[in-house]
Amino acid sequence: MSAEATEAAHTVASRVSARIDRIFASVDEQGRAIAHWLAAHPSPSVAELDRVVGDLVIEHLQPTSLVTGAGFVVAPGLLRDAHWHLAWWLGGHTALRRLTTSDDPQSEDFRDYTALEWFRYPERTGSRHLTGPYVDYLCTDDYTITVTAPVMVAGRMAGVVGADALVDRLENALLPELRTMAGRATLVAASGRVLVSTDARVQPGSMLRIAGLGDALLPLRAAGSAAVDHLLPDGGRVVSCGATSLALVTET
Amino acid sequence: MPHSTDGGDHARSVVFAPIEPAGRAELVEQRLTDAIVSGMLRDGERLPSESELARSLGVALVTAREALEGMRNRGLVRTRRGRDGGSFVTYDRDAAGALARERLRRQSRVALRDLALIVSAVTGLAAELAADRASDDDIETLEAIHHSADLSSADSARRALGRFLFELAAVSQSPRLLHEEARLQAEAGPVLWLCLREEEYRERSSRVRADIIDAIRAVDPDGARTSMRGFIADALDWLLEEKARLDCIPDDGGEHEVDASTTADTAREGMENER
Repeated sequence: MSAEATEAAHTVASRVSARIDRIFASVDEQGRAIAHWLAAHPSPSVAELDRVVGDLVIEHLQPTSLVTGAGFVVAPGLLRDAHWHLAWWLGGHTALRRLTTSDDPQSEDFRDYTALEWFRYPERTGSRHLTGPYVDYLCTDDYTITVTAPVMVAGRMAGVVGADALVDRLENALLPELRTMAGRATLVAASGRVLVSTDARVQPGSMLRIAGLGDALLPLRAAGSAAVDHLLPDGGRVVSCGATSLALVTET
Repeated sequence: MPHSTDGGDHARSVVFAPIEPAGRAELVEQRLTDAIVSGMLRDGERLPSESELARSLGVALVTAREALEGMRNRGLVRTRRGRDGGSFVTYDRDAAGALARERLRRQSRVALRDLALIVSAVTGLAAELAADRASDDDIETLEAIHHSADLSSADSARRALGRFLFELAAVSQSPRLLHEEARLQAEAGPVLWLCLREEEYRERSSRVRADIIDAIRAVDPDGARTSMRGFIADALDWLLEEKARLDCIPDDGGEHEVDASTTADTAREGMENER
């Protein structure tokens, strides 16, 4: 790969990362505000929490924003009047509304969200995590990526703060950046799942199967913020996009 | 070219067909009945109010009212007035068993085959896509559902199967396929999975889950689809045999005498399910 091509890959990777970093930054900021409030108000009620979280996230759910859902999901035991709760708002292209979910474990609709990737990973690793792309049947009901970060209060995880972005909007936002590359450029998650590609035959949601890619992505699977710059046996290149856990795969 | 003209005209007539078909109250009634029969709505559970129901189902208030009225007449809901009033599910296992049998008798074989066909198309495609698109985490999730499945009763086995099929559709990465799967589970599940009353079929449902997970791990889309469709074909075979058996029983209320052994079996199974 020529020096220009290498430079181009790094430029595109950093542009992608800048887009996603804006979502990360607002999630981190909301997390700090919620942690600060919870430190002063231990074991609040559902209504009290909803009011505070609603005020924080609603301004980020503008029709033009990439973010289409945002909120805070409690660790069981945090609230005094509910064991499970998602203080989550949906907006962006649709009318703003609060997500309603079943909090009754006996109900058929109930899902133990602590087992889902967007809750489980931040809980296990103590750090921010990007889930997806995946079909988010709990919140957006659409093809989504979700960014979540743990909110720590007095050494314990009180819940996760997060934001959703729809893959079709990300495609519109990121494809022009990818198209500045010569050859095929594909943005994948740490799992190897395709988010968007300049090649129309590479389907979003499919696994990109290229020799050596799985091994190249291993550091990103271990820690989303890992830096990867890896040459593939067939001449392709894998470059991590900042601390997003996404990777740009370029093939000549 | 008469064929293509016909096709075009047909497609046009579909475009301009009325969006709101007649008999919406029956559709609402059937959907809620299915949910009660399958145990999705539990005994004593409070249904949304008439106006909430109308809003969430996208039907007129009078349609929702008519559907609730029909269910009240069949003893499936009870309505209480006053402050803590509302419509409540009155789930009686014997009544539910009778309803499932009634639906099976009423539906023609051709309708049952058609129902199984669309379930086979959707879940088969979901299995096929999942085998190509599952990440390691997805496989872990499917395994967790498989290992936590409770095969001790028809209800719990049906819930485990429904949960697995739903997750499989989610792993396919298609929001539309997942919507269709959820819709079909609500519509076809209560009938198609009647075979789970029998232990042999509960075991089979477990084996098919294991086979599909193996195929997904081996990135074998054809294998995953074949396993899925094989199980649906078996479920349909069982259903058609059960229907043939029910069709032989006279419909004049003499069922209890003629079919005393089956009624006893059903009652016993009901008691086992309660445990």
